[in-house]
Amino acid sequence: MPGAALEVAGLEVAYGSVPVLRGIDLRVDSGSFVALLGASGCGKTTLLRAISGFVQVNAGRVLANGRDITHQPPDKRGMAMVFQSYALWPHMTTAQNIGYGLKLRGQSRDAIAKRVNEILAMLKLQGLGERMVTQLSGGQRQRVALGRALAINPDILLLDEPLSNLDARIREEVRHEIKALQQKLGITAIHVTHDREEAMVMADRIVVMDAGNIAQQGAPEDVYNRPVSAFVAGFMGAGNAIRLEARPSGNGLRIAAGPDNSAADVTKPALGPGIDASYAGPVIAHFRSEAAILSAASDAPDGALVLRGRIAQASYPGGHYRYGVSVGDLNVIVDSGQRLNVGAAVGVRLPVEALHLFPADGRANQQSFKQAS
Amino acid sequence: MVLALFVYPLCYSLVTAFTDKAGAWTLGNFSRAFEFYGKDIGFTVVIILLSTALIGTAAIAIGGYLTLGESPLAVGVLRWIYRWPLFIPFVVAAQCMRTFLAKNGIMNNSLVTLGILTPEQTVGFLDWRGIVITFVWKQLPFVALLVAGAMAALDRTTIEAARNLGAGRLRILIEIVVPQVMPTLMVGLILSFVTMMSVLSVPIMVSGESPTMITVDMAFRINNYGDYGTANALGFISYALTGVAAWIYLKRGIAEGGRP
Repeated sequence: MPGAALEVAGLEVAYGSVPVLRGIDLRVDSGSFVALLGASGCGKTTLLRAISGFVQVNAGRVLANGRDITHQPPDKRGMAMVFQSYALWPHMTTAQNIGYGLKLRGQSRDAIAKRVNEILAMLKLQGLGERMVTQLSGGQRQRVALGRALAINPDILLLDEPLSNLDARIREEVRHEIKALQQKLGITAIHVTHDREEAMVMADRIVVMDAGNIAQQGAPEDVYNRPVSAFVAGFMGAGNAIRLEARPSGNGLRIAAGPDNSAADVTKPALGPGIDASYAGPVIAHFRSEAAILSAASDAPDGALVLRGRIAQASYPGGHYRYGVSVGDLNVIVDSGQRLNVGAAVGVRLPVEALHLFPADGRANQQSFKQAS
Repeated sequence: MVLALFVYPLCYSLVTAFTDKAGAWTLGNFSRAFEFYGKDIGFTVVIILLSTALIGTAAIAIGGYLTLGESPLAVGVLRWIYRWPLFIPFVVAAQCMRTFLAKNGIMNNSLVTLGILTPEQTVGFLDWRGIVITFVWKQLPFVALLVAGAMAALDRTTIEAARNLGAGRLRILIEIVVPQVMPTLMVGLILSFVTMMSVLSVPIMVSGESPTMITVDMAFRINNYGDYGTANALGFISYALTGVAAWIYLKRGIAEGGRP
């Protein structure tokens, strides 16, 4: 197991009397790429700023390579940050921006020029060294910001939503470039983002945050396929949510037939970590729009959970049709390759492996409906 | 209105500077101005340039502390007090400085009371130093207000990025903050330069001795001799000096791609 490049223990931060981080525990292995993922206001940027030293912590510790840096100033932490707004210095050229950290370290002019040229070549910015950064495109500016951070060979690279100001096409390109560079250099990276796909593509490990707490952390596949809470399921794309009744049955739960749904057995391992096999009572089932299959309303369940409803809305986002299906007084979103008419009676067939079940409580319910609508 | 209140008097003054009492074109007013007041012209330029430099330096220091200072109390106090002299007219500022900087003024009395100086060691500052101190005291809040505002409007992450790479606060101020607010600083300094060029009360009240500033000479030529020709020639020189400052500013703006 690689050593921890960064450890955060019991970290608490408050802005005035408002708590923002509520006892965060996090370990980042050396050479790994960790994404802090969450909605606006969940505390992910505050956590990054606390790690970088720009925010005072109220309690807890931050250790970098075993060294306690909780109260060290930002410039003594061995970290370099790439900011959302690029934060390039508009009065300097590309080369001056990239070389500034080296200049601060007292390196000779020749050494700085050599390293700057290496960085320019690595980031495909050759020939732009003498250009003012204000004359560069958004993607080029983001590369310069990345180059400025990498030039000083930091122990840890901090990325604060570095791609959110780029348009979709450039964002995908830069996303892969950053990941490739991180792997090539073997550097430890912590990346803040609210974009699920960006986190999935770039990170080795995803940390989902909610209201100042870590809701779940793990490998991208694990967090995506085995969410531990309704919030994580919704945030990871399983936005459809329906209320069902369940009771223990054998090696899992039996979902009772209802006015709009068939019965189904959800057994381990399809039964995820969000609910216990001994649970009895109302549950919220989350599922992804692409995991559902539209069938005729009269088709047999054949082991799957089938919801009976009518097509209320249809659209074509590209590659498939997207339907809003009314199931009782709920609306669920289903993707399908078939062309169907609004008003048609359909069965929404859900393989039990596609269901994420959680005990129904007020919070999960509300959150799920919001995601689904 | 602009024609009547600004353009006509300006043109009339310019014409008068180049004509004699009979209305004939001449450079006599200028030769008299340089002959009698050449030293005062040089004195004026030095005083104004020195004051402008000190104002610029102090405005950067104040704006820098307000932007980068880490003591909320000190920043709050500085933010509260630095603007006060902005609302005091030059004539009142000059009178304040007369009572403050005189040999037996408040400054020396305080130093004697504190035991730092003996009465024999006290020196009055009512000379060129008094003019510079008054100008700086009066104009600093104006420039500091502009500069601090521009610094506050900077993208804060440009400061954090430098800090993150290891820059200290002084270095951040000089290498990151000041270059970004330079256009605003230049506007403030040029406006101050022009304002100080036109002040009459301060050199008259703070320093009665020679050399003095050319505004005093202009008033003297008119009040004592009714010599509008020489006074207007001095006015033209003063206008030319401010014109040079404006030209330097505009040239710099063009070199930076038309930014103000």
